[in-house]
Amino acid sequence: MLDTSKIGQSFPPFIIEVGRSKIHELALAIGDNNPVYHSREAAQAAGYKDVPLYPTAPTIFNFWGNVDQWNQLRSVGISVERILHREEEFEYLAPIYPDDMLTGVTTVISGKTLKARDGSSMDILTTETRYTNQEQQHVLSAKTVIVVQGEGEQK
Amino acid sequence: MTTSAQSKKRYYDDVQVGDELPELVKEPITHLQLVRYAGASGDFNPLHTDPKVGEEIGTGGIIAHGMLIMGFVGQLLSDYVGPEALRKFGVRFKGMTHLDDVITCTGVVTEKYEADGEARIAGKVQATDQNGDLKVAGTFVAALPQRNAS
Repeated sequence: MLDTSKIGQSFPPFIIEVGRSKIHELALAIGDNNPVYHSREAAQAAGYKDVPLYPTAPTIFNFWGNVDQWNQLRSVGISVERILHREEEFEYLAPIYPDDMLTGVTTVISGKTLKARDGSSMDILTTETRYTNQEQQHVLSAKTVIVVQGEGEQK
Repeated sequence: MTTSAQSKKRYYDDVQVGDELPELVKEPITHLQLVRYAGASGDFNPLHTDPKVGEEIGTGGIIAHGMLIMGFVGQLLSDYVGPEALRKFGVRFKGMTHLDDVITCTGVVTEKYEADGEARIAGKVQATDQNGDLKVAGTFVAALPQRNAS
């Protein structure tokens, strides 16, 4: 069960280099053939400095950059095997380009355990990851809400 | 797909509250796509890639990553406002997406305003399957160029 004493805690920073080929790969997987996401040449021909950030590319920073995230969630009492993703929100504060070095810091913003009359419970946890670039500019925030059904309620 | 929509620049002046974003209908979800998406995103939860696990936990086989569906909606937005125009994009995941589901993304402009020296639009977006079941519902804010900007 969620340990509410951990609310407000931040996890150690992680560093991720923005990769052109990762954005290409993500756009391919989504099935978006807009050439600007697939090559620097096409992006520059369309007037961009380099391959632009895919709208959901921050998910790459989170999963590939913060390889310790499952242990971090366990450390605040989350049963990671039963996580469901409820909400995701990105705030894009400045352009992000390939080769940028981002530092991400994830903080537990809020969390609670809801109890139903039948005794079952559900944890809800909100985290926010702030990304700064190599010039210490805050360029992106990602807010994530997950829910975890309590023991004994699985189908 | 919509190459013309991608290359056409959209101006703030030409967008009206109530305008609908051109609908985006995706190809049916395949197992291969989920494996590919796992590698691209780094989310290797077997729930999305291993049919055995899908059967065991009672989701009726593997389910798509919620973030893949958010990615489809991201494509809808990128096609409409262009890359780098988004200032905010958030969704709530409403339902599980299974193999062979056909996802349709739609959206509508709900607001036009100026903030932080930019001309911005805000709107609502959603993704539904072939039965009309809601998978993702969300909102966005984007900055658009203005004609004759001084």
